[in-house]
Amino acid sequence: MRIRRNQRRRIVDRIMGVLSVLATVVALIPLASILIYVSAKGLSAINWDFFTKLPKPVGEPGGGMANAIVGTMILVGLASAMGIPLGILAGIYLAEFGRGRLAWTVRFICDVMTGIPSIIVGIAVYGTIVVAMKRYSAIAGGVALAIIMLPLVTRTTEEMLKLVPNSLREASLALGAPQWRTVVSVVLRSAAGGIITGVMLAVARIAGETAPLLFTALSSRYWHTGLDQRIASLPVYIYTYATTPYEDLHRLAWGAALVLLALVLVTSMAARVAGRRASGGNRG
Amino acid sequence: MLNTRNKWLVLLMSILLVGVLVGPVGQIEARTIALNGAGASFPYPLYSKWLDEYRKIAPNVAIDYQSIGSGGGIRGILEQTVDFAGSDAPMTDEQLAKAPGEIFHIPTVMGAVVITYNLKGVKTGLKLTPDVLADIFLGKITKWNDKRITSINPGVNLPAQPIVIVHRSDGSGTTNIFTDYLSSISSTWKTKVGKGTSVEWPTGIGAKGNEGVSGAVKQTPGAIGYVELAYAIQNKLPYAFLKNRAGKFVEPTLETTTAAAAGAAANMPEDMRVSIVNAPGQDAYPIAGYTYLLVYKDQKDKAKGTELVKFLWWAIHDGEKFAKELLYAPLPGNVVKLAEKKIKQINYRGEVLHK
Repeated sequence: MRIRRNQRRRIVDRIMGVLSVLATVVALIPLASILIYVSAKGLSAINWDFFTKLPKPVGEPGGGMANAIVGTMILVGLASAMGIPLGILAGIYLAEFGRGRLAWTVRFICDVMTGIPSIIVGIAVYGTIVVAMKRYSAIAGGVALAIIMLPLVTRTTEEMLKLVPNSLREASLALGAPQWRTVVSVVLRSAAGGIITGVMLAVARIAGETAPLLFTALSSRYWHTGLDQRIASLPVYIYTYATTPYEDLHRLAWGAALVLLALVLVTSMAARVAGRRASGGNRG
Repeated sequence: MLNTRNKWLVLLMSILLVGVLVGPVGQIEARTIALNGAGASFPYPLYSKWLDEYRKIAPNVAIDYQSIGSGGGIRGILEQTVDFAGSDAPMTDEQLAKAPGEIFHIPTVMGAVVITYNLKGVKTGLKLTPDVLADIFLGKITKWNDKRITSINPGVNLPAQPIVIVHRSDGSGTTNIFTDYLSSISSTWKTKVGKGTSVEWPTGIGAKGNEGVSGAVKQTPGAIGYVELAYAIQNKLPYAFLKNRAGKFVEPTLETTTAAAAGAAANMPEDMRVSIVNAPGQDAYPIAGYTYLLVYKDQKDKAKGTELVKFLWWAIHDGEKFAKELLYAPLPGNVVKLAEKKIKQINYRGEVLHK
C-alpha cells in the first residue's frame, strides 16, 4: 500500500514538474520572439551614425537618432528626479505613518492611477502645462512620465517596507531610536533591495511610453536646446517613422526599437543585480 | 557591504542624471530662431526634407515639424502651442471662429487617395466607376463578381468572394478627402454618411493609419480599402483606375493629381479652403486634395514672423522641386500666385513681413 502511494505521488510530482517547465517555456516564447524579431529587423540599422548623427529626411543615406537617444535619457532622468523621491516618501508614509482616512485615500488614488491609460496622463499634462506654457516642452514630458511612475514607486515601496519584520522596528525603538531614525536607518535599509528593483521597473516602464509624450514633449529634429523646448525621444520616433510609407524610415524605426529594448533590458538587469547586492548585504 | 550597495545606488542615479547633464553640451546652436510646427502626417516626409534643405540656406533658423495628425495640428494652432500647423483638411468655419486671430491656409502640395484591394490574380488597374465605388462602401454591392463590377472589367476574372471593406479607424485627412469624394458623387452617401476626418461607416472594419489599412487589406482576401498614393506606390500595393468626371478611367499618378488641381484651380476661392475632388479635366484623377500650412495673419513676434514668412515663400517656390521625388504633386502655377498673395499679407502690427 505504502509503496503504491509513494509511486503515485512520484508520478504526479513528475507530471506537475514537466507541466510547470512547459508553462515556463510557453511564457518565455513571446519574450524570446520579440527579442529575436526586433534584433533581426533592427540590427541592420545600427551603426556608428545611428548613435552620433541627427535624423536625415527620407531618401538621404546616413543619419541617426542621437538626439532621440539623449532625449529619452533626459526625459527619463527628469521623470525619475521628480517621481522617485516623491514616490518613496509617499510609500514610507503609507507603510510607517499613514493611518485612517488620509492613508486610505492616498492608497486608493495610487491604485486607481496605476490603472489609468498613459494617454490620459498625456492629455491632462497637455491641458495644464503645455497649453499654459504655449509650447511642448521636455519639462511637460518629464512631468507626464513622473505621474505615471509615481504610483508604481509608491506602492512597491509600501509593499517592501511592510515585508520588514516588526521585530526589527521594535528592536530599534527599544534601543531608544526615535521613529524617523528607525525608518531611515533600519526599515529603509532592510528594504533597499526591493525598493531599488521596484524603482528600476518603473523606470523601464516609462522609458518605452509613447502616448503621453506625443502630447507633452512631442519630438524634435534637433538637439534639445533647453528643458522648456520640445525634445526628441525614441518611442515617438519609432511611432512617427513606422507610420510613414518609406522603407528607409521603417528600418530606422526598427533600429530605434532595438536600442530602446537594449536600454530597458540593461536597466532591468542593473536593477536585478543591485537588488541582489543590496539584500545580500542585509543577510551578511 | 553597505558600501557596495551605496556604490550601486550612486551608479544608477548617475546613469539617470547623465542625460540631464549632457543636456547643455548639445546646446551649441544657441542664438538661433526656433519655429515649431506640428500636424498632418501625410506631408511629414516632404516637410522633413524641406526643413533639412532650408537649414542649409538659413542655418540660423531651426524649424521643426512633427507629425501628429491634421486634427492635432488644428488644435495646436487654435491653442497656439505651435507657430504653424499642418492639415490635410481645411479648417471648418466653426473651427476658424474659435481662433484668436485670422488664420491663413497656405497650400503646399497635393496628394491623391487610391483604392487598393486584395484579389487573387488581379493586379493594379481594376476599373471602378463612382457609383460602383459608392455602393461598395455603402454595402450595397457585396460580392466581387457582382454584375456592376464585372461589366466594367471585361476579361478580368473576378471571384465570387464577399467584399470586405477596410477603413481608417483614426481621424485622418485621407478619410476626409475620400469621404468628400464619395459625398460629391453619391447623394445617398452625402445624406447617410457625409464627409469628415472620421465618419460613421455603414460597413467594414477599421484599421489605424495607412499602414493599418494596407496591412488589413493584404491579410484579408477580398478586401478593399483606401490609402495615400505615396503609400501605395512605396509599398507596391495594387490600386484601381477610377472613372473621372470626363468619363475616362484614370490611373492615379502625380500627373493626374496635378491635372485635378489644374482643373479645379479656376474655382479657387480667395481663402483657398477648397475641395478638388471630382475635378473637371480629361486626365484629372478624382480623389485628390491639398495639404496646407496654417499660419496666423497677424504675427506676435517680429523675428519669428519674418523667418516664417521667408520659409513659406521658399517652400512654395524652391521647395516644390523636392515634391515629385517623394511622390507629392507640386502646386500648379496659378495656385502658387494665390498663395503668394496670402503670404504677402502676413504682418506684425500692420507691418508686412515679406520683403
